[in-house]
Amino acid sequence: MSKFSNIKKDFPILERDINGNKLTYLDSGATSQKPNSVIDKMTEIYKFNNANVHRGTYVLSAETTQEYENVRYKFQSFLNATESDEIIFTKGTTEALNFLANSIANKFMSEGDEIILSEIEHHANIIPWQMVAEKYKLSIKYVKVNEDFSLDLDDLSSKLSSKTKVVSIVGESNLSGMLPDIKEINNLVKANSDALLIIDGAQLVPHRKVDVQDLGIDFLVFSGHKMLGPTGIGIVWGKKELLNSLDPVYGGGDMIEEVHYDKATWAPVPHKFEAGTPPYVEAIGLGAAVDYLQELGMSEVEKHSDELREYGRKVLLDIDGVNVIHSQETIAGCTFGMYVDGVHAADLSLMLDTHGVAVRAGHHCVQPFHRKLGIDATIRSTAYIYNDKKDIDTFKSALISSVEMLR
Amino acid sequence: MSIREKVDEYKKILDIFPNDQEKYQYLIEKAKENDSFPSELRLDNFKVIGCQSQVWLVPEEKDEKLFFNSDSDALIAKGLVTLIASIYSDEKAEDIVSNEIDLMEEFELGVILSPARRNGAYSMLKTIKEYAKKLIT
Repeated sequence: MSKFSNIKKDFPILERDINGNKLTYLDSGATSQKPNSVIDKMTEIYKFNNANVHRGTYVLSAETTQEYENVRYKFQSFLNATESDEIIFTKGTTEALNFLANSIANKFMSEGDEIILSEIEHHANIIPWQMVAEKYKLSIKYVKVNEDFSLDLDDLSSKLSSKTKVVSIVGESNLSGMLPDIKEINNLVKANSDALLIIDGAQLVPHRKVDVQDLGIDFLVFSGHKMLGPTGIGIVWGKKELLNSLDPVYGGGDMIEEVHYDKATWAPVPHKFEAGTPPYVEAIGLGAAVDYLQELGMSEVEKHSDELREYGRKVLLDIDGVNVIHSQETIAGCTFGMYVDGVHAADLSLMLDTHGVAVRAGHHCVQPFHRKLGIDATIRSTAYIYNDKKDIDTFKSALISSVEMLR
Repeated sequence: MSIREKVDEYKKILDIFPNDQEKYQYLIEKAKENDSFPSELRLDNFKVIGCQSQVWLVPEEKDEKLFFNSDSDALIAKGLVTLIASIYSDEKAEDIVSNEIDLMEEFELGVILSPARRNGAYSMLKTIKEYAKKLIT
C-alpha cells in the first residue's frame, strides 16, 4: 500500500464538511494544511516548555533553545547544506526576499547595476527589487516566458553581463507549475556574470527534493506554511561565506555581540540576521513538519506530485471552454491555472466552494504575467501530499457544473 | 418602501433558498436582470475599491432622492451590488446616512457576506453611505 493512501487521516481539517460536502482542499499553493504532529508539537511547547530562546539560564529556556537550534540541523540535512549555520530563520519567503534585496544591494550593488528576474515571478520576488532599484538607481530586466510557459534561457543568456549582480528566479511557478532547470540557470549565470543566484523556493521546496550543493546556487528562500508548517516562519539558506559578508538589515535583540552607545558589533551567522525574539514555536513546529516530510521521503513526495500532475493533465486539459495555464514541459509542478472565457474567476471559485472545493481565485500575486496574457484573474488548483486522484475528479465535476451554471 | 421594509423583503426571499448554491443562483438571476448599466460609465472613479472583481456604483439625484446604478464584471458580485443598490435607491440621503442596518448580520449569504471588514459587500455599503454623506454636507 502506498504511503499516501491513508494520509488524509493525519490532517484533521480534511474531515471538515463544507456546504454539505467533504472538503476538497486544492489551494496548497496558498498554504498547506497541517498534520497532527505539527499541531501537537506546537501545543506541547506552549504547554510544557515555553520560554524565550537564548535568554534564560533555566531549564525551560534551555529546552526550547535546544529544540529551536535543532531545527537548523534538520534543515541542513533536508537541503544538504554544508553547515547548520547556513540556515537563517525569517518570517517567510517575502521577508526573506526583502532581507536579501536590501542586504545585497547595500553591500554589493551601485548605480547602473542590473538585477534579472523572470516574467512569471511572484510579487514578493519583484517588489523588493523594485524598491532597492529605486533607492540605489539599479535596473531590472525580466527573462521572457515562452508560449509553452517555459523560461526562455537564451533570453537569460543574452541579458547576463558584467553589470548583472543578482539573478532571482522562481524555483517552481505558483501559477503554471513550471520547473525551470536551476542547474542550467546556475551554469549560465556563473559563466556569463559574477551575479549571485537566488532561487524563490516557496512552491519548490514543499514538493521536490532540493540539494543546494548539487544545484550550486547562492541563496534559497522558502516559507514554512506551504510545507505543512505554521505561518510566520520561513528560511533563507545561503552559502556561509556570502552570509558572513552580508550585513544585517534589522537590528536589536539576539543579533549582537557587543553594544555601546555609539556602535554595536554583530553576532556571528546565523544569529546576526535574527533580530528580536524569533518565532521559535513556529520554527519548532516547522521542524515537526520536516520530520513528517522526511518520514515520507522527499523522493516519494516528488513521485506523488508527478502522479497527480499526470492525472491532472489527463483529466483537466480537455474540459470544454476551460483554458489552462500549465507548463507543457515533461516535468512540472502539480499546479493548474485556469480561466473560462466570459466567466469571472471570483464567480467560479464561489460556485466551487458550494461543492466544498477550495481553490484560489485572483491574480495569485502574479499580476504582470496575467496582464501579459491579457486576462484579469484565474482560478488555481494546487495539489499536495494529502490530495489524491479522487480530489481531482471532484474538482473536475464541480468545475463543469459551475461553468454550466455561470454561462 | 423604507430601507427596513426592503431589507425584510429580501430576507424573506433569501430564506427560501436552502443553501449557498441556490442563493448564488438567485443573485446570478438578479445580475442578469440588471442590464441597464451604460458601459461608458465603467469608469475608475465609480469603481468600488476593495472588491475581488470590478464593481461600479454610480449615484444619481432625482427629486431630492438618491438612486444607484450598479455593475460588475463578475455575476455573483453584480447580483449582490444590484440587491444592495435597490435597497438604498429611491431614498433620501439623510435616511441612508442615519440607517444603521447591518446587512452582514441581516442576510445569510455564505462567504460573500462574511463579517470581515475587507470584503466586497462592506465596501459597497461604505461607498453608498459616502455618496449620501457628500450630498448632505
